[in-house]
Amino acid sequence: MRPQRLLDIATEKCTLGCPILDDLLGGGVPCGSVTEFAGESGVGKTQLCLQLALCAMLPPSRGGLSAASLYIHSEFPFPLPRLRHLSFHFPSPFPSPLDHVLVRGVHTADELLAILDRLGDLLSRPPSGVPVKLIVIDSIAALFRSDFDNNSVDLKRRSSLFFMIAGKLKEHAARFGPAVVVTNQAVDVVATEDQSSRLRVGNYASLRTSGRDVCPALGLSWANCVNTRLFLSRSEQRPPKAVDLGDSTSEGTYTGKVRRIQVVFAPHLPESSCEYVILRKGILGLCQ
Amino acid sequence: MEISNLPISPSHRGKLLSAGYSTLASLSSISPKQLAEGPSTGASLLSHTAARTAWDMLTDEQTTRHITTFSGELDAILGGGIHCNEITEVGGAPGIGKTQLGIQLAVNVQIPVEYGGVGGKAIYIDTEGSFMVERAHQIAEACIRNTLDRSILHRKDLHGIEAKMQPNNFLSNIFYFRVCSCTEQIAVINYLDKFLEEHENVKIVVVDSITFHFRQDFEDFAHRTRLLSGISLKLMRLAKRFGLAVVLLNQVTTKFIDGSFQLTLALGDSWSHACTNRVVLYWNGNERRAHVDKSPSLPPASAAFCVASEGIRDALPHYKRPRMA
Repeated sequence: MRPQRLLDIATEKCTLGCPILDDLLGGGVPCGSVTEFAGESGVGKTQLCLQLALCAMLPPSRGGLSAASLYIHSEFPFPLPRLRHLSFHFPSPFPSPLDHVLVRGVHTADELLAILDRLGDLLSRPPSGVPVKLIVIDSIAALFRSDFDNNSVDLKRRSSLFFMIAGKLKEHAARFGPAVVVTNQAVDVVATEDQSSRLRVGNYASLRTSGRDVCPALGLSWANCVNTRLFLSRSEQRPPKAVDLGDSTSEGTYTGKVRRIQVVFAPHLPESSCEYVILRKGILGLCQ
Repeated sequence: MEISNLPISPSHRGKLLSAGYSTLASLSSISPKQLAEGPSTGASLLSHTAARTAWDMLTDEQTTRHITTFSGELDAILGGGIHCNEITEVGGAPGIGKTQLGIQLAVNVQIPVEYGGVGGKAIYIDTEGSFMVERAHQIAEACIRNTLDRSILHRKDLHGIEAKMQPNNFLSNIFYFRVCSCTEQIAVINYLDKFLEEHENVKIVVVDSITFHFRQDFEDFAHRTRLLSGISLKLMRLAKRFGLAVVLLNQVTTKFIDGSFQLTLALGDSWSHACTNRVVLYWNGNERRAHVDKSPSLPPASAAFCVASEGIRDALPHYKRPRMA
């Protein structure tokens, strides 16, 4: 048993495909730890994950990991047409890029645990010879919304499952070095008179999306399981005037609702946020 | 005085009597080792170190150095900083700054003695993967800058020491262990004895976090409690034997007390006795605060601090005095 030399460890990051978003994350999604994207439906979590899977194939010189990705989804169907469309906008050095996104659907938490048990084999002996350096679980919340009642026995069981899943994910992240991304849903927060009893987790006393107060699902236990939490939200109104996307895109101006990504907590990032939009060609951060 | 009248346990009394000692006088000329070698008296009876006087202990305590956190208020409620020879548990919700504090301490322990520090090395046991080298580099850089700026002595004889204060040197003095399971965690802690014998001058062991691997499915909670108390005993022994500080970072959970859910540190009631000092980090509005929850020598008090790009620092800007709880 020997300590690792810190000077030899350099955390690799995977680009998100946009320099502004990469800047927010200090270079991209870090390898070796678990990053969570939490937000309500439709805010762009899946889009971001698909984009990330394509960017992982890029060479390191362009911010990628030159690697394949494993995409575990719990909401059906898997958005294959969208992935195919995006792959035209993120050209990959590999001849058939979709071959390097390994997709697997799961329905229950136990199924996920079973896959994670066997993940070591996949990571040490990848099928196509290209190493798998990105693992996406989209979404973790869907696996836990129905099987558990609200009594203390079930909640305890649910909590142990969180730690088992997170433990396995982090073990693989530490041994084989992939980036692990997990998406989570947002639940409404009930306003009570006793505001002090609401536990604040991270940099923001309250998180809002579409005009509602929300917080990431799965509670305090799951919050203890992730290393980095990013909150994605949508504004309540469309912007008063169309957002000018600049010359970099052919889409000119944008009239949809603007979205925001905030750093709720991260060991290496300060409190910060930036706006982004979802376009046909992918997710694009907006300059302030 | 007769041996049979001495206030010792019956088994020990029996062993002394059967070995032929019947009065205190007959014992006075025998050395502990000789007595231990006698046929039936266990070595454990007398080979234990003699009791120390409280005066000796007080002098020791006053000369023990503390490891600064770089937040003056936080140092104040901790009695000068994190104490060596003790276990300090620091708990709080995700994002409050536990890992930040852990990294700050692993860096601050290295401040040379000439600049008022402890001049030691650090062991960082990472159980969750929250340690980011780039962040440690950032904190080390700011620590060095702060230390050199604050010091009004720029003596020539300190040049050599100043030259050695580089962020990369600081990083290489942090012995980093990444553990991925409960068994690995126990194994590393068992291994520390040997490691500390081979590597001198380690003055702090940070475990980030002590909790993570123990919140999985433990069928038998008694087993978990036994494992945890084994760990804390081991760490306490290491702290005393090598004179180092042990800092254990803990998570929070909710517990149903008095009809409502309250926040407590994880790992249960039996664990709460294991550490010498307990500090809880929490939010008060938009301000981060630390509260000394349990300590044999410190009064309960709270202080504000902040997490800046340089690391842990005093909360800005309005001056708040540490509050007694």
